[in-house]
Amino acid sequence: MFYNFRPYKVETLVFGLSIILMICITYFIILKSKLGDEYLFLIVCMLISLGIVMIYRLDSDTGIKQAMWTAIGIVMFFAACMIFRLIKVWDSLAIYYMGASVLLYLITLILGKNINGATNWIVIGGQSFQPLEISKILYILFLACYFKNPDGLFFKSSRFDEFKRIQLNKLILVIFTFVNILFLMLQKEWGSILLISIVYIIVLYVFGKDRLFFLCNILMTIPVALFGYYFVYHIKVRIDTWLNPWSDIAGKGYQITQSLFAICSGGYFGTGLGLGRPDMVPAVNTDFIFSAICEEMGVLTGVAVILLYMLLTYRGLKIVIKVKSKFYKVLGLGITTMLGLQTFIIIGGVIKLIPLTGITLPYISYGGSSLVSSFIILGILQAISKEDYIDSDGEIDEGE
Amino acid sequence: MKENKKIIQVLVVICFLFFVLVAYLTYIQVFRSKEIVQNSYNRRQYQADENTVRGKILDRKGIVLAYNEEKDNEQRRIYPYNSLYSHVIGYSSKVYGKSLLEASYNSYLLGLDEYTKVFGLFKGSNQEKKEGNHLLLTIDHELQKLGHELLGNRNGAIVAMNPKTGEILALVSKPDFDTNEEMLAKNWKAMVESQDAPFLPRATQGLYAPGSTFKVVTSAAIIENGMDNQKFNDKGVITIDGREISNSGKKAYGEIDLKRALAVSSNVVFAQLGVKLGQEKLEDMSRRVGFGSDIPFDIPVSKSQFQYKKMEQNDMAAVAIGQGKILVSPLHMAMITSGIANDGVVMKPFLVSSIVSPSGKEIKSFKKEEFKKIMEPDVALKINKMMQEVVNSGTGKNAAINGIKVAGKTGTAENELTHQKKDKEHAWFIGFAPADDPQIAVAVVLEYSGSSGGSIAAPIAQKIMEKCLKEK
Repeated sequence: MFYNFRPYKVETLVFGLSIILMICITYFIILKSKLGDEYLFLIVCMLISLGIVMIYRLDSDTGIKQAMWTAIGIVMFFAACMIFRLIKVWDSLAIYYMGASVLLYLITLILGKNINGATNWIVIGGQSFQPLEISKILYILFLACYFKNPDGLFFKSSRFDEFKRIQLNKLILVIFTFVNILFLMLQKEWGSILLISIVYIIVLYVFGKDRLFFLCNILMTIPVALFGYYFVYHIKVRIDTWLNPWSDIAGKGYQITQSLFAICSGGYFGTGLGLGRPDMVPAVNTDFIFSAICEEMGVLTGVAVILLYMLLTYRGLKIVIKVKSKFYKVLGLGITTMLGLQTFIIIGGVIKLIPLTGITLPYISYGGSSLVSSFIILGILQAISKEDYIDSDGEIDEGE
Repeated sequence: MKENKKIIQVLVVICFLFFVLVAYLTYIQVFRSKEIVQNSYNRRQYQADENTVRGKILDRKGIVLAYNEEKDNEQRRIYPYNSLYSHVIGYSSKVYGKSLLEASYNSYLLGLDEYTKVFGLFKGSNQEKKEGNHLLLTIDHELQKLGHELLGNRNGAIVAMNPKTGEILALVSKPDFDTNEEMLAKNWKAMVESQDAPFLPRATQGLYAPGSTFKVVTSAAIIENGMDNQKFNDKGVITIDGREISNSGKKAYGEIDLKRALAVSSNVVFAQLGVKLGQEKLEDMSRRVGFGSDIPFDIPVSKSQFQYKKMEQNDMAAVAIGQGKILVSPLHMAMITSGIANDGVVMKPFLVSSIVSPSGKEIKSFKKEEFKKIMEPDVALKINKMMQEVVNSGTGKNAAINGIKVAGKTGTAENELTHQKKDKEHAWFIGFAPADDPQIAVAVVLEYSGSSGGSIAAPIAQKIMEKCLKEK
C-alpha cells in the first residue's frame, strides 16, 4: 500500500524514526543507570508518541515543535531526576517555594500576555510559556515541606508554645493555598483552581492529623463554589453549557458540542488517521486533543488512553506507598494525584461528564511549558522511586 | 500504616473516576452518538456533499440520468428525466436525505469508498473540488421510458431483466414523483399524505398476490412429481372442502392436459393438483423459488411471503392458483420467470454494472452471478413449452410478437378490495422472449385494474419485449 503514497515525505519518516530513537535511548539510559521504576517512562512514552502523531497530523510544523519540546522535556526529566537526588535540601526550602510562586504570579499579572482569553502567558525571547505550570509544582513542594513537620515549618525558634505553633503553621498553609487560588482566579484558570483544591484536600485527608480542620476545609469549599456559581459569570456559563450545550450550539456550547461531534463521528474504531475532521474542533491540539484522538483512532483508543493514565497513577501511588520519607511521600502523592486528576478534569470536560475547564492533557496536549513541567514532575517521581529502591535494599522499619 | 491505607483509598477513588470516564465515553458512543452525529450543526455530514461533485449516474448506453450542477457556489443534484427514475435512483437532497441508489452507493458517489480513500489520499490537498465516482447502470433508458409511457396513469410496476445475466433493463414503478430538489420541496407534504403511497417503489417493495402467474411454480412441482402426464376433466367449477373454486367466467374446458390447463389458466385443474401435491410439496417449491428469503439487490427489496403454518385443503387449492396468503414483489416474479427462461437457474439481479472513477478508470465492476437453482433444466424446458402455448393459443395471445416465439403467463389476482367490490383485480403478466434463446424476461403488474392480465398487462409486456429485441 505504501508505494501508492507517491509524494510521501522523507522528512516524515526521518521525523518518526528520530522520535523512536530518542525514546529508545532514554529508556536505555533509565535501565542502565538503574534510575528506579522503569514503567513510568514507558507509559508516558506511549502517551507522548500518541500526542505527537496526532499533533503532527493536525499540523506538521506544530508536531515538529512538539517533538522538540519532548526532547527538551526529556533533558529536563534527567536534570530534575539528578538534581533532586543529589541535592537533598528540598524539604527545607518552604519559604523559597512560597516566594518563588508569588513572584511568578506577580510577573504573570504584570507582564502577562492575553492568549486565548486567559492572561497567563509570559513571553520570553519570542517563546511564550505558562508560569502556572511551575507554580503548581512549587505548591506541591510547599505542601510536602509543611507535612514533613506540621508543627515546625515556621516559628520554630519562636517563643510560642507547640500548640500555637501548629495553629500558626496551619494558618500559613491555608493562607498560601488561598493565595494560589486567588492568583489563579485573577488568571481565570478555573481548571487549575479545581486541581489545586482537590490535591490540597487529598493530601490533607491522607496526612492531616486534625479531623476537624479537614472538615472545615471541605465545608469551606461549598460557599466558595456557590459564590463562584452565582457571582462569577465565567463559572456560571461553564456550568450552564455543561448542563445543556445543545441550546446554544453556535454560541456558548460551541466548543463542547464540536468536541462531542468529533467523538461520536469516530465510532469505536475511528475514521482512520487523516480521514476525520478534528480540525473543526476549536483548540484541538491542546485542550481538545482527546476528541481528535477519539475521532480518528476511535473511542477504543480513547479508552486505552484513559487506562494508560490509570496505570500511570497506579505506578505513582505504588511508589508513594513504598517510600518511607514523609517529604517524598507527600510530594509523590501530590504530583501523582495532580497528574491523574488533571487528566480526569480535562477528559471529563471534553466528553461532557463534568463542566469544561481549559487545562491541558498531560503528555499529549501540545504546549512547551505543560510538557516540560510534566516531564519535571516525572523526573521527580522517578527520583522518588529510586529512593524506594535504595531503601528496600537496606533494612525495613515499618511503624513510624 | 494508616497513611498507606488512605493512599490506597485515594488510588481506589481515582481509579473509580477513570472508570466513570470510560463508562461515560462508552455510554455516549453506544446510546447517544447516532443522534449527536445527525445534529444539523455537525458540519461533517455536509462536508462531503459540499466539497464533492457527486458522481454522475448513467444508463447502459451512457445517457446521463443524474448529475451535479454548481449554482451560486452550491452543489445541486439534477435529474433530467424528473420522475422517471424516482424508484430506481431515488433522490439526494440536503433537506430530505438520500434514497435508493443515491443512498446505497453514496460513499462511491462522494468518493468516500475505500478505494478512493487509499489511492486519492495525497491527491486532493489543493483547492479544487473533489470529484466522486460515476455509476453505470444496467438500465436501458429507452426501455425504461417506454415502460413509463405504457403504464401511463395506472398504478403498477414493470420489471425487465436479462434472464441470462441478471441485468435489470427496466424498473418502472407508478405512481412516481419528481426527484429534483425544488419539486420535492413543493410536493413533499402532499405526497406524504397521499393514499396512493407515491414513495413506495412498487417494483421492488410492492407485494401482490401473484394470481395465476403462480401456476408456473405450481406446474414445476407437478412436473417434478410426475403428475403431468394425465388428463383432467374440467367442468368449470369444483368444490373443495366446501369452498367453490371456478374458472374465469366459470368456463368448462372438458378433457384437457396440463399444457392446455396452463394455457387457458384452468383454476379447476390447478386447484385439484394443488390439493394432490399437499402442503409439503407446495411449500417446498415456494421456498425454493425464493418465498420467505431475502433477495440481494442494489436497492431494498421486500421479502415475498408464504404465510402458512398448517394448510387446509382449500388453502392448498388457493395457493396452487396463486391466491391465498402468498405475496410476491414484481422483481421477484421477474426473477422466477428468468429462472424458467434460463434452464432453472436464477441469476442474481443487479442494477449497477460498474463504478468508474472521475478519470475514467473502472474501480469496481459487477459481473453476472448465479443466485440459485430453482428447478432442473428439463422441468424448466417443459414449463417453457407450456408458457409458449399460453401466448400461442391461450390467455396470453396479446403478448405475441410477429416472428418471435414468446413464452408467458397471465394472471388476474384477487385482493383485499375484490371482496368488497368488483373490478379491482391486479392484472399480471410474466413472460420472456425469444423462447428458444431468451434475451429478456418481464413481469408486469397493474394494481386494482379490474381487467384481466391477458387484456391489459400482456400488451404492455409485448411492447417492452419487442422494443428490446428490436434494438439488439
